Amino acid sequence: MRSISVGRKRFLAALGLAAGLLPVRGVLADPLIAVVSQQAGVVTLIDVGKAIVVAEISVPRVPAGLAAAPDGRTLYVTHPDLGLISRIDIGTRRLETSFRVGREPFGIAVTEAGRTLIVSDWSSDAVIRVDAASGHETGRIAVGKAPAGLVVDAVGRRAYVADRESNQVSVVDLATMTRAATVPTGRAPFALALSPDRGQLYVANVQSGDLSMIDTARLEETARFKVGLMPYGVAVTPDGARVAVANQQSGTMAVIDATTHAILARPKIGSYPEGIVALSSQRAAAVAWADDEVTIVDVSRAHVVAHVPVGAGPRNLVVLPEHWETGAGEDMLER
Amino acid sequence: MFRRLLLAAALLPTCLAPLAAHGPTPQRAEERITIEAAPEKVWAVLASFGAIGEWHPLVRRVSFTGGDAAGAERILTLEKGDITEGLDEVDPNERRLSYRLGKENTEALPVSFYTASIQVKPSGGGSEVVWDARFYRADTTNEPPEGLDDAAAIAAMGDFIRQGLDGLKSKAGGS
Repeated sequence: MRSISVGRKRFLAALGLAAGLLPVRGVLADPLIAVVSQQAGVVTLIDVGKAIVVAEISVPRVPAGLAAAPDGRTLYVTHPDLGLISRIDIGTRRLETSFRVGREPFGIAVTEAGRTLIVSDWSSDAVIRVDAASGHETGRIAVGKAPAGLVVDAVGRRAYVADRESNQVSVVDLATMTRAATVPTGRAPFALALSPDRGQLYVANVQSGDLSMIDTARLEETARFKVGLMPYGVAVTPDGARVAVANQQSGTMAVIDATTHAILARPKIGSYPEGIVALSSQRAAAVAWADDEVTIVDVSRAHVVAHVPVGAGPRNLVVLPEHWETGAGEDMLER
Repeated sequence: MFRRLLLAAALLPTCLAPLAAHGPTPQRAEERITIEAAPEKVWAVLASFGAIGEWHPLVRRVSFTGGDAAGAERILTLEKGDITEGLDEVDPNERRLSYRLGKENTEALPVSFYTASIQVKPSGGGSEVVWDARFYRADTTNEPPEGLDDAAAIAAMGDFIRQGLDGLKSKAGGS
């Protein structure tokens, strides 16, 4: 239930900020997001409260996917063209090491309290389990063709993988490393996001321009609705009320009512947006790949709050967990 | 023999699938040109989706269906073969259109997939045209041979856009 408590804090934090209250030290530290830029080969850390860059870390070339350990201290980045995963120490802001995983590692998640990485391998059509400390492969399971985005339900010990060229989501039981189910979706599923209660999985289908909703208890698609051209990123707000989608071909963010599936707004967010994350119930951030920016959007007002310049070709981003929750974020406040 | 038939049957849907398969790492191109003609005039040339053969020097012949609205398709005959493009979005207010590669032909153009957009913006008394694309190398493995790699894709797409903009400028002319 970790995700729910985080969500509540984010919500309270957003309320506090909206009301102009002073942040409470250690609880409402400004969150950091990490962004990978493919052409520049860098990871950028952004203080989203101040909308400023606080660090830039060089990594090997063509980084694509990224995931943070639950303590927010370690970041992992995939490099599909190199067959590598990099490990970054957020504290020292240094690249620790890079290790070989599979052929084209792409999607990545961290689980088991940071001990294990789950990785999709685009050209091996497999999901690979990796020991995070040693970088060694500890298991793999065949899935559909071109597995791309991947999310892990740490509580349910499952991975959901978008098998892009098989038009399905593979559901992997992480305890046994077996495939529990495949669920058909729209055409070319790419990114996915779980609702805060883990009951719904939203899948962005790039070629059919729609979103599949999968009931994770029944493992069935319960709805599919149009969201726009080439949805490449999807995120759910921490209150579960809204879904934000990055429509790459239109350069827009679709803000969707999670209950009615109505599109509430479609603000322009930049050129070729891709990865998207929810920052609070009110805000989301997305990368604009061809503008070399991260765009922060007030989703309830459909209003762009800030553009933050990053390295060339940003593709994905992730919220670093720790800074929302504990006193460990204090150093960020005092900087 | 029976096994071979089974294998063929298994492969068949993959071969026929209209999905444009591509790798995990896109490349990009963006070119701009200023044109003396007014934005409305440049946009009128550009928005006629099936008429690209009238101004793009690398396009030898075009056949098209669906007119100038989203959903239209055009088949471009280039020096070394045909490629098919689909029009996805037309925004006359922004003077922007976006389209996508439908059927690849890496002989004709060494890319496995692309989306592209062209926008006409007012600039001084005339226009600025921005043409950008997101695309993937022809060979999507991590050991692409020369000619099917990122460098070849970037060169070919950049050249196609550059020559297209020059042709557009010649066609649209002055104000």
